[in-house]
Amino acid sequence: MTEALQGVKVLVVEDEYLVATLMENMLASAGCVVAGPIPRLAQALDAASSEACDVAVLDVNLAGERVYPVADILAQRNVPFVFVTGYGVLPGEYANRPRLCKPFKMADLLDTLSDIVKTAPASH
Amino acid sequence: MPNRPIVGIGASAGGVEALERFFKSMPADNGMGFVVVTHLPPNRESMLAEIIGRATQMPVVDARDGEMVERGHVYVLPAGAILTIHEGRLRLRRTGTADHQRTPIDVFFTSLAQDRAEHAIGIVLSGGGSDGTLGLKAIKENGGLTVAQGTNATGPRFAQMPTSAVASGFVDLVLPVEDIPDRIIAYVRNWDAFDKQQPEDALSTVYRLLQTRTGHDFSEYKDSTFQRRVQRRMQVVQAVGLEEYVEQLQKDPDEVRALLRDLLIGVTDFFRDDAAFQVLETSVVPKLFEGKGAADEVRVWVVGCATGEEAYSIAILLREHMDGLEAAPKVQIFATDIDEAAMGVARAARYAGDLVRGISPARLKRFFLNEAGTYQLGKDLREMCIFSTHSVIRDPPFSRLDLISCRNLLIYLKPSLQEQIIPLLHYALRPSGYLLLGLSENVGRYADLFVPLDHKNRVFQRRDMVARPSLPFRQFLPASRREEGVSGANHSPLVQRSELLHNVANTIVERFGPTYVIVDEAGEVLYFSAGTGKYLEIAAGPPSRDVLALASPGLRADLRAALHRAKESGRRAARDRIPVETNGGVHVIDLVVEPITRGTDTTYGIVFADHVPAVGHDEIDSAQRPPGEDDIIRQIERELQETKERLQSTIEELETANEEFRSSNEELMSVNEELQSSNEELETSKEELQSVNEELQTVNSELSNKVDELDRANSDLNNLFQSTQIATIFLDRNLVIRSFTPSVTKLFNLIPGDHGRPLTDLVSRLAYPNLENDIRAVFGGEAIERAVSLADGKRHFLARILPYHASNNVIDGVLLTFVDITGIAAAEEQLKVLAAELSHRVKNTLAVVSSIAERSLPDDQVKTDLIDRFHALAHTHDLLSQAGWVEAPLRDLLLAELAPHAAGDGSNVTVHGPPVMLKPQAALFLALVIHELSTNAAKYGALSVTGGRVDVAWTIAGDDPPRLELNWIEHGGPEIHRLPRHGFGTELIQRGVRFELQGEATLETMDGNLHFKIVIPADPKYLIFASSPDRWSIEEAAS
Repeated sequence: MTEALQGVKVLVVEDEYLVATLMENMLASAGCVVAGPIPRLAQALDAASSEACDVAVLDVNLAGERVYPVADILAQRNVPFVFVTGYGVLPGEYANRPRLCKPFKMADLLDTLSDIVKTAPASH
Repeated sequence: MPNRPIVGIGASAGGVEALERFFKSMPADNGMGFVVVTHLPPNRESMLAEIIGRATQMPVVDARDGEMVERGHVYVLPAGAILTIHEGRLRLRRTGTADHQRTPIDVFFTSLAQDRAEHAIGIVLSGGGSDGTLGLKAIKENGGLTVAQGTNATGPRFAQMPTSAVASGFVDLVLPVEDIPDRIIAYVRNWDAFDKQQPEDALSTVYRLLQTRTGHDFSEYKDSTFQRRVQRRMQVVQAVGLEEYVEQLQKDPDEVRALLRDLLIGVTDFFRDDAAFQVLETSVVPKLFEGKGAADEVRVWVVGCATGEEAYSIAILLREHMDGLEAAPKVQIFATDIDEAAMGVARAARYAGDLVRGISPARLKRFFLNEAGTYQLGKDLREMCIFSTHSVIRDPPFSRLDLISCRNLLIYLKPSLQEQIIPLLHYALRPSGYLLLGLSENVGRYADLFVPLDHKNRVFQRRDMVARPSLPFRQFLPASRREEGVSGANHSPLVQRSELLHNVANTIVERFGPTYVIVDEAGEVLYFSAGTGKYLEIAAGPPSRDVLALASPGLRADLRAALHRAKESGRRAARDRIPVETNGGVHVIDLVVEPITRGTDTTYGIVFADHVPAVGHDEIDSAQRPPGEDDIIRQIERELQETKERLQSTIEELETANEEFRSSNEELMSVNEELQSSNEELETSKEELQSVNEELQTVNSELSNKVDELDRANSDLNNLFQSTQIATIFLDRNLVIRSFTPSVTKLFNLIPGDHGRPLTDLVSRLAYPNLENDIRAVFGGEAIERAVSLADGKRHFLARILPYHASNNVIDGVLLTFVDITGIAAAEEQLKVLAAELSHRVKNTLAVVSSIAERSLPDDQVKTDLIDRFHALAHTHDLLSQAGWVEAPLRDLLLAELAPHAAGDGSNVTVHGPPVMLKPQAALFLALVIHELSTNAAKYGALSVTGGRVDVAWTIAGDDPPRLELNWIEHGGPEIHRLPRHGFGTELIQRGVRFELQGEATLETMDGNLHFKIVIPADPKYLIFASSPDRWSIEEAAS
């Protein structure tokens, strides 16, 4: 399954250092190209608008701010993403988006990303 | 008392404006005193004195009782008082609302008229109603000047008062208010400048003018009266000379009318000359009714009745007598005068206060309606009198009268005119009728027509057995000839003829009568006829009137004898054939002395005649006519005489009939006028009512609108109350419940009927013992908030007590609201519980994780390190949880990690810096960093050997943004040659600080020991720099 992630560019938005570096390592060993990780909303918005990526992993709570504006930009660009959160339920419009609850197993993350990449339409 | 003019000014609605204008135009040195009377509501203070004070330099004061009216001062009637004047001093009487005076102007003016007479000036200005009209009448009657405000562009605002005065005919001047001051100053100044001597014949032009223009002959009026009245008119119109005034009369018909009015004014009173009326009442009135039943009539004529007081006085006496009769006859009083305006006033029968002073209080009460100081005669008396215009000189009289009162008319007439009227009155009375004259009048030479019943009071009774004098029916001037001149005759034809006859009679006597003298008892000659020269001589010596001295010598003896004889016997004495020597011969004279007695006087007539021998019979015979012709002539003469008498009689009857028709006509006209008058009054009332009605309607519709608005506002309020879930109570100052919302019933046992009960009466379910104190405290103006609960603790409320501000910002009551915060309180409670639970859970979870690691992992350094790191996190969680998950102090974090590795006395560790609080995310991250540093120091660094130390110090530096700089310096530890490049700790420090805290961290060696430096910007999400030491809640750990 990890073959599906070969060369896939993943934008990682996460403010916890330890979690961010772990994700970075895992994705790199799965063959992804990691953009980030980006700990703050302002930088994340820039990246979401300008980076060419195939999929994104978004931590909902970024040092007190919510990541939803980043999700909106990515949605507009038709870039699929998955939310990562400690919260149980996300607000209405994002409720149906793929999400992972913390703490999560890396394997779950990789599986989820593979599924997304497989079913995503050919991006830009 | 100096005679200075006092001006009374009356005004009502619109008067303030008029008064201001008047006083502005009045120069300050006018030499007059002013009294202002207006209509004021009784309870209100008046600013009028101040307002007038601003318009004039004269001092203006409120009138005070007893104050003398000074020149150049103004006195204003204050509210709630009546003003009169006596001997130049004001009299002020307070009134209450019960006897509120509605005609104060009439009351003052009447008093002023009586006190000041021709020195009174009355002015009526703008106002509604007719107050002042009767007052001006009184002033004019007493010789004063009367003025009313005329209309111009600016006034009067309300013309009713001046118009009513003018309509009564008693106003001398009608002027715009600004012109009045100059006119009255000129009038007053001209008083002394006026030339009082006017030649008598200059007045004849005036007489003529009056006769031509008005048909009234004033030439018989006493000169002095006439002159005085003409002078006054001249003063009013400011004519200096009589020629000037005559010119004015010729040009201006209004002046003719004004002069006529003035001439006719006389002062009248009720029951004038009380004694005369007493006699009338006791002796005359009962006789009038004697022998008369219900089908009969008592007819009275009052001549020259003017404004009616005399006629009504008689009416009162008659009425009083009639009340004592079972079947009273009808009473008709004809009251006449030539003054039509006065008739109008008489018919209205309304008299101001002072005019009724001759009437006893009992009669006043019985016969008059008192309308606040003016008295209106009752209908029953008014109906008894018919007022009509009638000139006693010019028009035929009434007839068959039981009583005539002609008082104080004759004195104004010349004697010859008086003598025409007395027989007229005799004719007009029925047999044994009564005549009343004024106290200074008499029947004159017609004593034979009237018997004096009471000479002192001039009460006479008609004599019936008299030779009927030829009735003075004369040529009456028909109305159409009034404007043409009468052919220059100043005297009426009748007077002229009777004088002529006398003249002719005298001439005949002179020519054909005997020669005579009249002597008195002493023989002094009183009268000589013509032709006495033949018998009497003027003797030498001092002139003498002794007839014996004058007689010719031959006559003397016989004259003396005859005189003596006549004196003694009281009868005629004669002497004849007396020879008298004269120049040229001897005359034979006959002499007769005849005593003539008139009253107590006796005079003697001495008749001289030439002696004529007797004529023989045959001479007489030849002068006789044939008997037949004589008889016929005599018969014819007799018939002629009879015919004449019959004719005379017929004429008289015709005249009577005419007179009665005239009377009826007059009566009808009078009734008609009264009806018209009533009609007009009703019209006026109707208009007033309509006006009031309209006003009421307007007010009503405004009120209606207001009520609608109020209803809506109330309805809104009610709905608001009902809808609100907040329990609200409105209390007034006495803690009495004014209103409350339905939700209140959950807290207090209230029912709708509890409005009006004090709150403290009621049981409340609240545990709020301080409620009453708190409420009272709120009256001071500050609101109070408290959290209170129900007594059973089941529900919680936020009680707010607020002052209730009324519309004038006075604190009128309080407002209590109770907001149910049970849910909030519960939520808060729940949160606390939750937080505690969470904390507990997290720590437990960490403990569980630690256990799992412990059990799952092989015992090695990795496991130890791992579990240590879990513990570091757990401690930090503790710190955070103790601060409610808000923050943790940096210092405590450091101490918590260093403490386990420090020496027993803590001397090898220092921790120093200002208070810095870390938010949870930063706290947890830094805790891991500090854990790594501590652990390394304890394993490899300064804390691994004795004598080694770790000093941690931090500062806050910089401004924008401020930065936290922390230095971790180790001393005295084993030398470090190189630092690990990789490893959990190293990476955490180098990459993690930058990543998570956006800061910089460096690890170096100095002198072989570790130096760690970290610089973090103070982002409020991570760090806050606390300044209050009381935020420290953690004990320093073992240092």
